[in-house]
Amino acid sequence: MLDARLGRNEDIEEARALARQATLSRAGDLFWPAVIVALVLLALTGDALAPYAPTAQDVGARLLPPFATSSRGFHLLGTDPLGRDLLSTMIAGTRLSLFIGVTATFIGLVIGVGLGMAAGYYGGSVDRLVMRLAEAQTAMPMFLVAILFLVVLGPSVFNVIILLPALVWPAFARLVRAETLRLRETLYVEAAVATGCTGPQVLWSHILPNVAPRVAVLTVIEVGHVMLAEAGLSFLGIGVQPPDVTWGLLIARGRPYLAVAWWLVTMPGVLLGLAVLAFNMLARRFEVASGSAA
Amino acid sequence: MHAQSPGRFVVTRIRDGLGILLLVTVVIFLLGYGLGDPAALMSPVDATPEEIENLRRLLGLDRPLYVQFVDYFGHLLRGDFGESLWQYRPALPIVLEALPFTLLLTATALVLAGLLGGINGTLAGFWAGSRFDRATNFLTVAAVSVPSFWVGLILIAVAAVRIQLFPTSGFTGWQSLVLPAVTLAVVHGGRIHLLVRSATFEEMTKPYAMVARSKGLPDRLILWKHVLRNTSVTVATTIGWEYVRMLGGAAFAVEVVFAWPGIGQLMINAANRHDFPVLQCAVIIAGAFVVATNALVDIGYRLMDARLRVA
Repeated sequence: MLDARLGRNEDIEEARALARQATLSRAGDLFWPAVIVALVLLALTGDALAPYAPTAQDVGARLLPPFATSSRGFHLLGTDPLGRDLLSTMIAGTRLSLFIGVTATFIGLVIGVGLGMAAGYYGGSVDRLVMRLAEAQTAMPMFLVAILFLVVLGPSVFNVIILLPALVWPAFARLVRAETLRLRETLYVEAAVATGCTGPQVLWSHILPNVAPRVAVLTVIEVGHVMLAEAGLSFLGIGVQPPDVTWGLLIARGRPYLAVAWWLVTMPGVLLGLAVLAFNMLARRFEVASGSAA
Repeated sequence: MHAQSPGRFVVTRIRDGLGILLLVTVVIFLLGYGLGDPAALMSPVDATPEEIENLRRLLGLDRPLYVQFVDYFGHLLRGDFGESLWQYRPALPIVLEALPFTLLLTATALVLAGLLGGINGTLAGFWAGSRFDRATNFLTVAAVSVPSFWVGLILIAVAAVRIQLFPTSGFTGWQSLVLPAVTLAVVHGGRIHLLVRSATFEEMTKPYAMVARSKGLPDRLILWKHVLRNTSVTVATTIGWEYVRMLGGAAFAVEVVFAWPGIGQLMINAANRHDFPVLQCAVIIAGAFVVATNALVDIGYRLMDARLRVA
């Protein structure tokens, strides 16, 4: 009964479905990792690469369209209602958007991998407890609970980061549990147990390295999911709050000007989409490389 | 795995669903009453500490937590979700007025997404590697990589502001339904497409399809007579999952974008006004739909897939 339900694992299915698509050329194989590297560099160097200070206002250069020039200089992506350079604010938003995506996913990974290995290796009541928890979590309308949670505790970067892992840990737990169940029966694990390795030792040095490739693929997928979730919360005004800035928040900020300044909404969304797309494509690449794709 | 009759599975699944719903209410109660300070949340922003203290006593919030929960849950069972702090009338009817709009929007979007993803996904899997497959594949991967509310904003900018084709805000007739439903259908149809494509491709390369092909059956008939029968289960469950995703939150940001008078819009307004009873009520009602849909998908999957059926 439990196994029938475990088949219902959308995120893993989705990861595999993405991985099975064989569409990109060799050049494409390098393109998406390059996008991610570029985004990480932007996040790390931040303002140094931005053409202007992200908060510098200039009332004389309000709502300039892309490729316009103001008294300060050239604005590749235009300016916002306060004359701030859009490209510079988007670069400033990269840091927090990526940081939240990666940190929240990593917390979810640690919880999910730990519980998943314990469930798969020890079985019995540990297994039942963990899987029930994961099931309840998946069946719960988490986004709704998230709204309530953020309204009660107050929206902040910290609260978003401790909340979002709740969305991703069940996928990790399910994947790792299934893999651990399989690995537990292998000869080398049997040998390790026979030579006196304790449970945690077996899990750490024999199971973990073997589940790592699949976990890596899922991680890349989930970073994209978490970034989309953060953008949604921030867009609704219950996630990251100004003066902090993320891409989702920039979309919200540009929304009132949709009819007069399309670039304010369009550009941050394109960048977010490009980042998530890059993660999705990278996951596919990983899976092909590890030979587990059909 | 132990064998279980379909009837018992249905009963167990419904019982589990109710258990999860109870858990949702406990979580919601704890969030509101354990972590937060409802008296402060319910008070206007400029309330004095004495006013908040008075409200606390008035609402019985100085009693032990478990007494409050029993009280709270008892009221829920009688359909009493408290009174809106903004509209000064019971929360439940306010949520129930918004509910049909959310159901209308999500159901329309689901039909569109199912058609879009189901048909295109099947064809893409059938013609795997073709130009059609590659083109639709890239478009769908792109569609699942952008937030749905952003797709909605772009549609507004293009279809409504520029060429003024459809209304972009509120509900004034069926035309209002077009843009939000298309927005949701693009993103959710993309995910359905991905899963249906890979299921179709997998089935087409299985031994039974090869046997059929070696007997001289054209691919078209293999798809029609054999493969569709197996992938239809995938299509149905995938559509069910997507409905859960929509009701679980994805639809709400789109509602806000189009000022659609559904539950999502209501929740965000309630959140901004600190209208806690309405927010709680909306989460529980939407949660009930999510839990029920999940149970229906599981039960449907079980009953449809002969391999899981126990004789």
